[in-house]
Amino acid sequence: MTSHPETQTVRWTRIASSSELDTGRAVMPVTLAGQRYVLFRDDEGQLGLIGRNCPHRGADLCFGRLEDNGLRCPFHGWHFDRTGQCVEQPAEPEGSTMHTQIKVPMVPVREEGGVIFAQVSEGERR
Amino acid sequence: MISQELNDQITRIGPETQAGAVLRRYWQPAALSDEVQGDVPVPVNLMGERLALIREGDGLLLITRQADPSEAPTHHPASGDIREVQGGPRYPAVDRAGVVFAYLGPGDPPAFPNFDCFRAPEDHVFAFKGLWQCNWLQALEIGIDPAHASYLHRFLEDADPEEGYGQQFRDKAAHTDMPMTQVLREYPRPDIQVDETEYGLRITALRHMANDLTHVRVTNQIFPEAICIPMSREMTITQWHVPVDDENCYWYTVFTSFKNPVNKEVMRAQRLKEHRLPDYAPLKNRENNYHYDPAEQERLTYTGMGLDINVHDQWAVEGMGAIQDRTQEHLGRSDVAIIRYRRMLRQAIKAVEEGDEGALPMRGDDVTRLVGPLSNDSIAGTQDWKSASRAADLARRAECPWDATV
Repeated sequence: MTSHPETQTVRWTRIASSSELDTGRAVMPVTLAGQRYVLFRDDEGQLGLIGRNCPHRGADLCFGRLEDNGLRCPFHGWHFDRTGQCVEQPAEPEGSTMHTQIKVPMVPVREEGGVIFAQVSEGERR
Repeated sequence: MISQELNDQITRIGPETQAGAVLRRYWQPAALSDEVQGDVPVPVNLMGERLALIREGDGLLLITRQADPSEAPTHHPASGDIREVQGGPRYPAVDRAGVVFAYLGPGDPPAFPNFDCFRAPEDHVFAFKGLWQCNWLQALEIGIDPAHASYLHRFLEDADPEEGYGQQFRDKAAHTDMPMTQVLREYPRPDIQVDETEYGLRITALRHMANDLTHVRVTNQIFPEAICIPMSREMTITQWHVPVDDENCYWYTVFTSFKNPVNKEVMRAQRLKEHRLPDYAPLKNRENNYHYDPAEQERLTYTGMGLDINVHDQWAVEGMGAIQDRTQEHLGRSDVAIIRYRRMLRQAIKAVEEGDEGALPMRGDDVTRLVGPLSNDSIAGTQDWKSASRAADLARRAECPWDATV
């Protein structure tokens, strides 16, 4: 994967300025090619751009709890890392591995000079 | 995940729909009794139909009113502006437990069950309603999901239970000094058991605690779209999730008190403060982000949306979209009652389609025989939780001045 904006196969689109996330709680909604996402910055300072509705029953992750190096759904505590991988389902039985099978859509992002870009695949380019 | 076709089948309730045909075979809350104290007709928006309540003799009747297709789903025209559609459908309506129920289906309406909310005296029940901007099924499904209370309604600090009159989860747990909020927070992984009953489902959430004790919370699904759950040691909640149309619904709640009469003035004032009239839309809503406060979310509540758990539920179900896209859902073990309920609804849809009305629950001659249902929080020894839970409920009923025997 290249991060160069002029490449034939990968394009980047500006989705936010870094300062928009400097509000004490680094979570904001982003709409990209008609799809709804949530952008957040985790404890490691890295950005995640993942599907906005929780894959469990569809709650809105824009109101998620930003904690434990990811975003946690307030409905049942499902926890997602910046890749969109579900890493915890605290209401499921002890030892359940269901979470390993659950991943929300993730769009690669990069941050340069105070601007945040999201990768747009060719099929989604407008 | 389910198919789009199945999602449409179990959510859409207009006059020519499959789930609509099921719901129409049961009494539906149409208005609060409070709403018909003044001028009639009173506008009613129910099951995708534009209706109005009028008085007829000593009783009430639901007529079809003229309406512009472009008017808002919860449009509430002034009484003097309501005109009946001549020759349009008219439906029977009755006033029970502070709620006006209407029957929009074919043939004779079923009898009312002898549930606590319908047999308690007038001064022991209080009814209220509120608008949620989403489909009725996702509103019902949050009510049959006992796990969410440990997260969505988590309080990071416990309030004094003595200050919690008339509010859910604000009492002490059973006969302990532990606030309910603490039990929910410290035991977030309930073991959920679901039993099919004559009226719907009995849902038991077991939270296994220290010292071989178990917190037992018994709630119920009443077919087709109600729940009956404990609110405090004193009161239960019976709540219907009634479609306005496919994308809006009202919750109608009857609060039923066992021992003491309900303090209706306090209950009404608590809730009027959070709603606007005449459409009973909540003042905290999607347009103002439910008064979401990130600082509060960090230190006090799980949602950052205040202490009223109705607002938490409203956020959860409205955030799913007008009709939850169940082609993208992933149900877990904690959703066992939701899975069982959808199966019952599909069986009822099939029964109506095959003309097998006798197979529908809660429609037979024996409906008046149904009492309770038992809805209770208790703490019991882990070995005998079942009998201890029942005994705790019977003790409450024995102290009750009205006939609450089961």
